[in-house]
Amino acid sequence: MSAQRPGRIMPHREGAAPLDVVIGVMGFLAALALGASLVAARTAEGWRAGLADSFTVQILPHQGAGPDLQSETATALALLRSTSGVSRVRIVSDAEANALVAPWLGTDTALADLPLPRLIDASITSGATLDLARLALRLRKAAPDSRLDDHAIWLARLKRAADTMMWSAWGVLVLIALATAATVTFATRAALAAHQDIVSLLHQMGARTGFIARAFEWHYFVSALTASAFGAALAAGLFAIAGGLEGAGIEAVPFLPPLGLGVLELGWLLAVPAAAGLIALATARLSVVAALARNY
Amino acid sequence: MLRFENVGMRFGAGPEILRDVTFLLDAGSFTFLTGPSGAGKTTLLRLMYLAEPPTRGLITLFGCDLATTSRSKFPALRRRIGVVFQDFRLLDHLSAFDNVALPLRLAGKQLDHYAHDVEELLDWVGLGSKLDAKPHTLSGGEQQRVAIARAVVGRPDLLLADEPTGNVDPDIAQRLVRLFEELNRLGTTVLIATHDRSLLERTQAHEMRLVDGRLIEMRTPRA
Repeated sequence: MSAQRPGRIMPHREGAAPLDVVIGVMGFLAALALGASLVAARTAEGWRAGLADSFTVQILPHQGAGPDLQSETATALALLRSTSGVSRVRIVSDAEANALVAPWLGTDTALADLPLPRLIDASITSGATLDLARLALRLRKAAPDSRLDDHAIWLARLKRAADTMMWSAWGVLVLIALATAATVTFATRAALAAHQDIVSLLHQMGARTGFIARAFEWHYFVSALTASAFGAALAAGLFAIAGGLEGAGIEAVPFLPPLGLGVLELGWLLAVPAAAGLIALATARLSVVAALARNY
Repeated sequence: MLRFENVGMRFGAGPEILRDVTFLLDAGSFTFLTGPSGAGKTTLLRLMYLAEPPTRGLITLFGCDLATTSRSKFPALRRRIGVVFQDFRLLDHLSAFDNVALPLRLAGKQLDHYAHDVEELLDWVGLGSKLDAKPHTLSGGEQQRVAIARAVVGRPDLLLADEPTGNVDPDIAQRLVRLFEELNRLGTTVLIATHDRSLLERTQAHEMRLVDGRLIEMRTPRA
């Protein structure tokens, strides 16, 4: 027998390179957006974990009669150390406090004359439930100039910032998915027009719509999968380079959290070609079915 | 098998190409459709193989009134019809073997099941040595034989052929007509549109004569 396997119903595409390039670029951008959302999520979680398990007590300096800063600090310290659920308590040294305000006030010697509050840094025992509102009241009774800061405002801001980054990344992903679908729709229509003679013959010979659609959808599935895999691989390479630079102590992008992705996070980028392939497959099928529905 | 009742056909706002065409093709019949160029033979064939809906009138095919039959059933009806197109309509990127095998693939058959039949049929039409040849490497007559082999390979219930011997020499033409007759003996209803009156003289067949869009004559075979 001459034919070892049946020939392809649809001929190999010619002039398909521009479509592959467009989908490859889409895949690259989608992988960047997905990676950015992973970095945002990881960073937000790191910030949250760092702040949620600790709190700060400030002892404000006051003028006039009443206990002085040192005795209030000692009282607050003693109360915190005797409180169940508080695991580590330490006074923030003057040098550390000065370093905290240095970015705003500078390191002038006059800083020593400013009435800065004393800060007590405390950690919550892992798994313990501590009623911070009640603790704040107890502290106010024992040391009237004390203020407990549970970082709630900062945490809320960080959550908002991280959520904004993630939703922005998801928004970009949705836009890229829509653009990919539109691109494949145009390409499928062009291919249908280019192969009108074949489609018409198959239709005339009694091919079911699904048979013709499969010939097209498989085409675009493989094309989108391959092209977007190249794009995603390029993006993964960039994240890996950023991670390598950060590992060597070189800040990849100033002011941004570490951009390197872990192995599991890089695995998420595989979702990009898979999604692109499925979008192309579904779009091509819908386009062919819609076009054939107009035939007699 | 196939009934036309007062069928009319026009494209857009153009003149009517077919007018009040009424006839009945009995199952197992062998008919020639004759008439001068432009009489509407190809348009009539297109209505028969469900390429176009008629502008008016009723068509009943395999017992189905096409006006009321669901479109979803059309592919199954079309698969029961073998068509030899006047311009062959072979797929250039497929070999002669794959072109002929196409109706069997559309019917869901696997290569193992149809390979022998396809090779045998191509051998019968004189193309046994050109199984892998692409249509553009074949002569007009060879392409026509591939097109005929494709139309008959699935043993259709109805075979429609538009000038099927137009590009072949008389010997091959005779051989192809024998193929159609053989298929007809096996139960296929055959209708051949042709200019070649010598074909009619060599066969016992009905004749439908179309002139200016009207069916003017239905002749039964000579005794």
